[in-house]
Amino acid sequence: MSLSIARPLVSVYSEKSEVVAGSSIALPFVFKAPIRPDLVNDVHVSMSKNSRQPYCVSKEAGHQTSAESWGTGRAVARIPRVRGGGTHRSGQGAFGNMCRGGRMFAPTKPWRRWHRRVNLRQRRAAAAAAVAAAGVPALVQARGHIIEKIPELPLVVSDKVQEITKTKQAVIFLRRIKAWSDVLKVYKSQRLRAGKGKMRNRRRVQRKGPLIIYYKDQGLTRAFRNIPGVDLLKVDKLNLLKLAPGGHVGRFIIWTQSAFERLDALFGSWKTPSKEKKNFNLPQPKMANTDLTRLLKSEEIRKVLRAPNKRVIRSTRKLNPLTNSKAMLRLNPFSAVLRRKAVLDQQRKNNQRALALAEKRGIKLSPKDPAVRAEKIRERRQKLLKLAAAKKTKKPAAKKTAPPPPKKKAAKEAKAKTPAPKK
Amino acid sequence: MPSTEVYVPCRSFDNLSHVPRGVLPRSTMVAVTEKKAEKKPVKGKEDSKKLPAVPESVLKHRKRRDALRTRRIQVTLKRRSAAIKKKQQIFKRAEQYVKEYRIRERDEIRLARQARNRGNYYVPGEAKLAFVIRIRGINQVSPKVRKVLQLFRLRQINNGVFVRLNKATINMLRIAEPYITWGYPNLKSVRELIYKRGFAKVKGQRLPITSNKTIEEKLGKSNIICIEDLIHEIFTVGENFKYASNFLWPFKLNNPTGGWRKKTIHYVDGGDFGNREDKINELLRRMV
Repeated sequence: MSLSIARPLVSVYSEKSEVVAGSSIALPFVFKAPIRPDLVNDVHVSMSKNSRQPYCVSKEAGHQTSAESWGTGRAVARIPRVRGGGTHRSGQGAFGNMCRGGRMFAPTKPWRRWHRRVNLRQRRAAAAAAVAAAGVPALVQARGHIIEKIPELPLVVSDKVQEITKTKQAVIFLRRIKAWSDVLKVYKSQRLRAGKGKMRNRRRVQRKGPLIIYYKDQGLTRAFRNIPGVDLLKVDKLNLLKLAPGGHVGRFIIWTQSAFERLDALFGSWKTPSKEKKNFNLPQPKMANTDLTRLLKSEEIRKVLRAPNKRVIRSTRKLNPLTNSKAMLRLNPFSAVLRRKAVLDQQRKNNQRALALAEKRGIKLSPKDPAVRAEKIRERRQKLLKLAAAKKTKKPAAKKTAPPPPKKKAAKEAKAKTPAPKK
Repeated sequence: MPSTEVYVPCRSFDNLSHVPRGVLPRSTMVAVTEKKAEKKPVKGKEDSKKLPAVPESVLKHRKRRDALRTRRIQVTLKRRSAAIKKKQQIFKRAEQYVKEYRIRERDEIRLARQARNRGNYYVPGEAKLAFVIRIRGINQVSPKVRKVLQLFRLRQINNGVFVRLNKATINMLRIAEPYITWGYPNLKSVRELIYKRGFAKVKGQRLPITSNKTIEEKLGKSNIICIEDLIHEIFTVGENFKYASNFLWPFKLNNPTGGWRKKTIHYVDGGDFGNREDKINELLRRMV
């Protein structure tokens, strides 16, 4: 995307917030720089440390005694105690951080490293990111500015604004441009700080309003500086602490026309390095196309992916095939045949036994008795099979190989058929 | 500027591709109204001629879905027919094995009877298959025995494995004798073990053998596609006995109902350890 960017035209507004016809500026390339909130935050954290004033406790604090430990044998703790007598202080513990009036643990020193240096590259990239973020209405709103009614974002105003001298006019301008609601929000947010800052000259707190970036100050600063929340910044000296207050990108920025036009020279485009900043070119984005949804659903990626595996495989319970017939069938389908054969064999045996017993005991069984019936069916079947076998052997008498198979088949059929019809 | 008064013209909305996704809040300003207004007159001409157009992405999605569906149906049909064929194959094999076992058994009996008839002696072949059970626990095991038991995969008490008998393995069994009991399992023992206590080693996991698929996937190369094949391979110590028995996780058996005789002495002396030849079957009935 950094190579082929559509640069929309940004129209310039007069100080009466009417579009100045014929003057529209192409969006500077900075506004397409990658927005890196993480980078901005890091740089902001480091930069904001640079205006700190050192603090520390006094060097001698807690040591302005000549206390010495009493040693053992006196039924008191071995902490150094204040010498002498005649006052409350005598015999009291001294020097330790646990002692009242003693020195603190690790007394704070003025040579603590208060300031941080940030790499120039990072500073510039952060500034570019902050400026780019200020061109995205969603981000500016997310940061909390009221920009519902402003005519356009980035908001560029004619250079006449730089000549405003009276605060009254400044207010009128802000109202016309519809930036006043942001300032109103600042008013509403004015409150006392919570905490000890109150008594440390940081009594009042308020939120940030619009930031006005200008090229030449012809009275602008003095007109706007008394309006709460409004900050002024020169284009040549962009300050990340003002562009992204709190480390959060997306401040509401009002640009003057000349300031806006300077941006291209300051930051350059990817093709041309910056003119003002030595050795600087806008940072390359990590991803050219950040539309992740589109990417993931694109054909190129879809083709390479395997099919989604939506089947949830859960562990199956093991059923004992020796007792569970379904499990057995699943593993060995022939078991059905064996079982059936066992059942039928048992039946046949029972019938034969019944018949034999009846004969032995001389009891005559009724013809409806199942054993008798089964026997009759069997005999009938055997007769039919013999006839069929005889017919078959007569026909292919010429062929030698023909007779044996029908006999075997007949024998098998007899075996299979006699058990079958019993049930 | 007709409709573009209130919420609109934040034009730099269009090309947001450089904005990282996490940065944009969910509710963004409505700049689209202006765009829509612009688009309407353009499309209006086309609209009057055709039906309302379906977005291309929806069409693509439909096409993709239909293609997938037809493929899936084809695949399931193929799979089903393959499964049916396989089932028939398994059926035939199982049938063949039943016959084979019967023949084998009757053969032994027949040969013995034949020999007796002629006043001769029939010496049956030495056993090729043994089932080895570890009798003793983990503690205070001498290193040689420990190693042998490890090699046999008998790492736990009452673990059992099938072992092919040859000079090498018989000597190994001799080394570990006081810790194991072993013998020659019959068909019923083999079947019971594999059906009831058979677990497969799949990808280092101990999975129950619930379907022939697990067996086929692992042992298809050795022409073992169902559980009956596996039993046959083990019982008749075929060429692929090694793969078949290694496929089986070592059997975890119960303590025998009715108890041991005396684990600390040899079976021959009234105890339990060592070779008990075919009395292993009686033990296995009580342990499986």
